[in-house]
Amino acid sequence: MSRADTSRDTETRELGGVRFSVSVARRDAVIQQPGMGIFRKIFRGLISLCKGMAVTIGYLIRPSTVVTQQYPENRGTLKMFERYRARLRLIYNDEGTHPCTACGICEMVCPNKTIKIITRQGPVTGKKELDRFVWRFDTCTFCNLCVQACPFIAIDMTGEYESSVYDRRLLIYNLNDYHGPHTKALQKIEDPEQRKKAIEPNDIYSGPVPLAGTPLAGIRALQGVGE
Amino acid sequence: MFLVSYFLQLNVETRSWDVITLSQRAAEALPQNPWSAFWLILSGLVGLVLFLTILALVLIYVERKIAAHFQCRLGPMRVGWHGVLQTIADVCKLLFKEDIVPEHADKFLHLLGPILALLASILMLGIVPYSPMVQLFDLNVGVVFLVAVSGFGVLGMLIGGWSSNNKWSLLGAMRAGAQIVSYEISVILATLVVVAFSGSLKLSDIVLSQADGWWIWRGHIVAVVAFLLFLISSTAELNRVPFDLAEGESELTAGYHTEYSGIRFAFFFLAEFLNLFVVAAIAATFFLGGWMPFHIAGFENFNAVMDIIPSGVWFSVKSMLLIFLLMWFRWTFPRLRVDQLMRLEWKVLLPIGFLNVLAASILILFGYYFFPMA
Repeated sequence: MSRADTSRDTETRELGGVRFSVSVARRDAVIQQPGMGIFRKIFRGLISLCKGMAVTIGYLIRPSTVVTQQYPENRGTLKMFERYRARLRLIYNDEGTHPCTACGICEMVCPNKTIKIITRQGPVTGKKELDRFVWRFDTCTFCNLCVQACPFIAIDMTGEYESSVYDRRLLIYNLNDYHGPHTKALQKIEDPEQRKKAIEPNDIYSGPVPLAGTPLAGIRALQGVGE
Repeated sequence: MFLVSYFLQLNVETRSWDVITLSQRAAEALPQNPWSAFWLILSGLVGLVLFLTILALVLIYVERKIAAHFQCRLGPMRVGWHGVLQTIADVCKLLFKEDIVPEHADKFLHLLGPILALLASILMLGIVPYSPMVQLFDLNVGVVFLVAVSGFGVLGMLIGGWSSNNKWSLLGAMRAGAQIVSYEISVILATLVVVAFSGSLKLSDIVLSQADGWWIWRGHIVAVVAFLLFLISSTAELNRVPFDLAEGESELTAGYHTEYSGIRFAFFFLAEFLNLFVVAAIAATFFLGGWMPFHIAGFENFNAVMDIIPSGVWFSVKSMLLIFLLMWFRWTFPRLRVDQLMRLEWKVLLPIGFLNVLAASILILFGYYFFPMA
């Protein structure tokens, strides 16, 4: 019917100096169509209802459209998406070194004070380097601002979503595997002996912990507390 | 052999159906042996309770599963194989829940509401002809009985909403009342067409009158319009989407059963799903021949082949298909506004219903339908 076409006009609009041809559906034109009797309305209504029902029956008869994940059963095969934001990590290269220079931008940009960068004077280089990258899982909202702010692409949100623990203190991590300089500074040290000396291993729970730092399995008690 | 005859109540020599109801059997047995009449009635009641319990359990599970798959979900998967025991677990939960009555509620009416709602559904289940042999009672004013009793269910909702002493409950109950009273007229107008075609108000007679063919195709356009009318307005009577204003979650939390929990809520819920079955069964009985196999008058061999399928199976398949259709509606259409709901009934469905009855009576007068009765 040509009458149906009159409800859909085209007009030119300007946006940012560019001219567009826009098709405009006029609401009142649809409602006040002359000659649109009650029976045609009913017929059209029925057709549109049938269209909706065709969509839903399509979902019903094709089980492949189901999006539900059967979580505990499929935990072996479940892959999180690239964009999924869960536990933060420092990005390590193949040699096990990271590019973090301990500049502290992530700490400044964090809206919840979730990140604490602790630096130290390097024993070999004599320069400022990363001592501890403390990240509090319990206050993090996964806003991704730290990742976006990092100038060295040193941190990243992983898809590691199974992170429940029985003690709040276990949610406070050291992200760095070692106390020491970043990749480029390490490469400048030529003597392999000295390079080994510059790196001290670190475990994820060695940082400052809350709850007065009382001893807990896997967590070292804070120095001077609970002794 | 007993089972076959149980479903097949077809007298092969005379090609006629032996229709008998449980109350008739009891009445026949009463003069000789009152105890056998008593046992018949008792077994009928126990059977009814068992049937409605199992029916509700199955329907709730099926509805949840179908709803889930319509929405790209899986539905219950944990309890039993693909969650088949989920409703049983839910029933146990509801039974063991604390029976809470709001402090300022009308205690007696608060209890009466769900009981009345469930009672109406049970009464309607009794008169549905499941097969020539399986029907609890059959009145010669069966259609009038159905209409009257379905109005009874509204009373339960109204009482429940009123006695809860809660604004959401009251609003939901008023909406339900207004809606059901309005759409009842269209339901009656649609059934009137079938009553006029079959010339009887008795449900078993309506089924038997379709031995030449189901009314939905024998009455061609008029019957199809009446069927659609019945389907739309009985969906509204069921308070199901797209007419679920009485319990519109976004506006009224849960409508008339907001203040109900535990076993009392279970009663309302049960009544809702039994009504779903009853509406599908009644629609099947009126328009799709009930337990009557698919017959075309004159094609005797074809009819004989169709008779091989037991009538109970015919009835179940028809009503299950209609239930599926109602579920399909529910999980596809958006909800109407209150004014749209009333406009649809009073300005669209009611005039169409009246015109349809008029057209049907003209068709019947002049015999302009398939295989008019002599």
